[in-house]
Amino acid sequence: MLKCENYSSSILHNISFELQNKNLIILGSNGAGKTTLAKVLCGITASSCVSIEDKNPSDIYGENRTKLINYIPPKLEIYDEFMSVEEFLEINQLYSHKRIDEILRLVNCEYIKNKKCKNLSSGEAQLLLLASAILHNAKYTIFDEPTSNLDPIKIKNSFHILQDKNILQNKIIITHNLNLAYKLGFDILFIKDGKIAFYDTSEQFFNDTNLEYFFNDSVKKCDDNIVVNL
Amino acid sequence: MRYFLVVLSVIILLVSPFFGQIDISITNIFDTTKMDYQIFWDIRLPRTILAFFVGAILALSGLVFQTIFRNPMSSPFTLGVASGATLFTAIAIVLGLSSFVSFFAFLGSLATIVILFIIASRFHSSETSSLLLVGIALSFFYSASLMVLFFISNLQESYEIVRFTMGSLDIVGFKDTYLVILAGIFILFMVKYYQNSIKLLLVSYQFAHLKGCNVKQTNYILLISVSIAVGICVSITGPIGFVGLIVPHIIKTITQKSAHTLILPIFFYGGVFLVLCDLVARNLGTTSDIPIGVVTSFLGAPFFIYLIIKRKK
Repeated sequence: MLKCENYSSSILHNISFELQNKNLIILGSNGAGKTTLAKVLCGITASSCVSIEDKNPSDIYGENRTKLINYIPPKLEIYDEFMSVEEFLEINQLYSHKRIDEILRLVNCEYIKNKKCKNLSSGEAQLLLLASAILHNAKYTIFDEPTSNLDPIKIKNSFHILQDKNILQNKIIITHNLNLAYKLGFDILFIKDGKIAFYDTSEQFFNDTNLEYFFNDSVKKCDDNIVVNL
Repeated sequence: MRYFLVVLSVIILLVSPFFGQIDISITNIFDTTKMDYQIFWDIRLPRTILAFFVGAILALSGLVFQTIFRNPMSSPFTLGVASGATLFTAIAIVLGLSSFVSFFAFLGSLATIVILFIIASRFHSSETSSLLLVGIALSFFYSASLMVLFFISNLQESYEIVRFTMGSLDIVGFKDTYLVILAGIFILFMVKYYQNSIKLLLVSYQFAHLKGCNVKQTNYILLISVSIAVGICVSITGPIGFVGLIVPHIIKTITQKSAHTLILPIFFYGGVFLVLCDLVARNLGTTSDIPIGVVTSFLGAPFFIYLIIKRKK
């Protein structure tokens, strides 16, 4: 069980929720505090308010933490100039028995295997991050905007991977792509003005009243897809 | 290319003790009655070994600094660590505590690293250039303090300090060399021991954390190890610039490999680089040896500028 009890910071106020073997989608406008919350959940920002399987992720090291939680940032940041894709994936291979080639095929990016990480395009880097999450295979994986740099074909492929129950255990996905959130059907947690404004199932969230309330007239349902209304 | 470099390096290491103001014949070095015997075993050999290990330590320290401070311009010199050790050594000389120079040099490098690390922890990871500026400011502060020391010290002490700050590999016998060999083995062991953590840190601090590394503890241990090793080097040879900065870059550029796989090559070629510089310094035909720091800076400064230009492109 992942638990967050009364977490407050300069932008978040009294955030409390529990997650028991479930997937979750975190929504909210830019700067609402979604990434801040993600970093608290995985222990990058130390806090006593979080516990995963009764352990505080900022107090434990090594296997104890890696088994429980992983966070995938929106952008790949590698300081070393010459680290190759294969080397990067090797250090990510912790609890998955799948082979690196297999995972690269799954994310449709086999051709990047021998490239240097620094030379990847932003979309390729994002797929590499997705591949790294699958190889790490922690109990909870937080994805921070996993599709923000992808073209529509790659978004669709990533959607199928994120939807697949057999690929990763529990997923927490931060996204601005409402259609992705809608089609995944995971529970929705909406952060507004630093507070949890909504936390319930997908069916409860995606109705016209809520869409109007949370997004004004900027989105609408169209042929069972949620599109941005321009 | 790789084998060529290895062979060339081994040749440099082997021939280095034979060249200098007095040429030595290889047949005489085992003949205890000859002058060559003493020059070879008491002066040239310890000096070559000293040069090798000092170069190796400085190069490896450069790699550790560049990894932990996440900036390709970091080295014990650009961040003021060696200047700290120099200043504290000079203080030891002025206080008449010449037998404690190693300890003082260690204190100086450690104090600087602690200051840098406290400041670095206040920055975001993207602000590494600010840290470099802090390092440069610290260096200026140290040189100013060194000037103050010149003024309050007597002629003899001043001379000692000046000679020391130029950097020199002049030693007789193996006493100091043993200490540096120990420091070299120690730092190599520590870096090798933390190779996995270094691999993670080469991605990012956040990544290392997510892969289970205790980032703070690892950084502290590595930095303290570096300050011990660099402190020992500086106390014996004085500050020798640019080895720590350029060797990791040269090796990375040649091999095009991720830095965590280059620990041994950087250690080895750092040593070879300084032995080569020393060989040049001893054989320019001047009446006395040119200080080693002059040679490394002569080769290093243009390369540093080249590096900045290349990075901007």
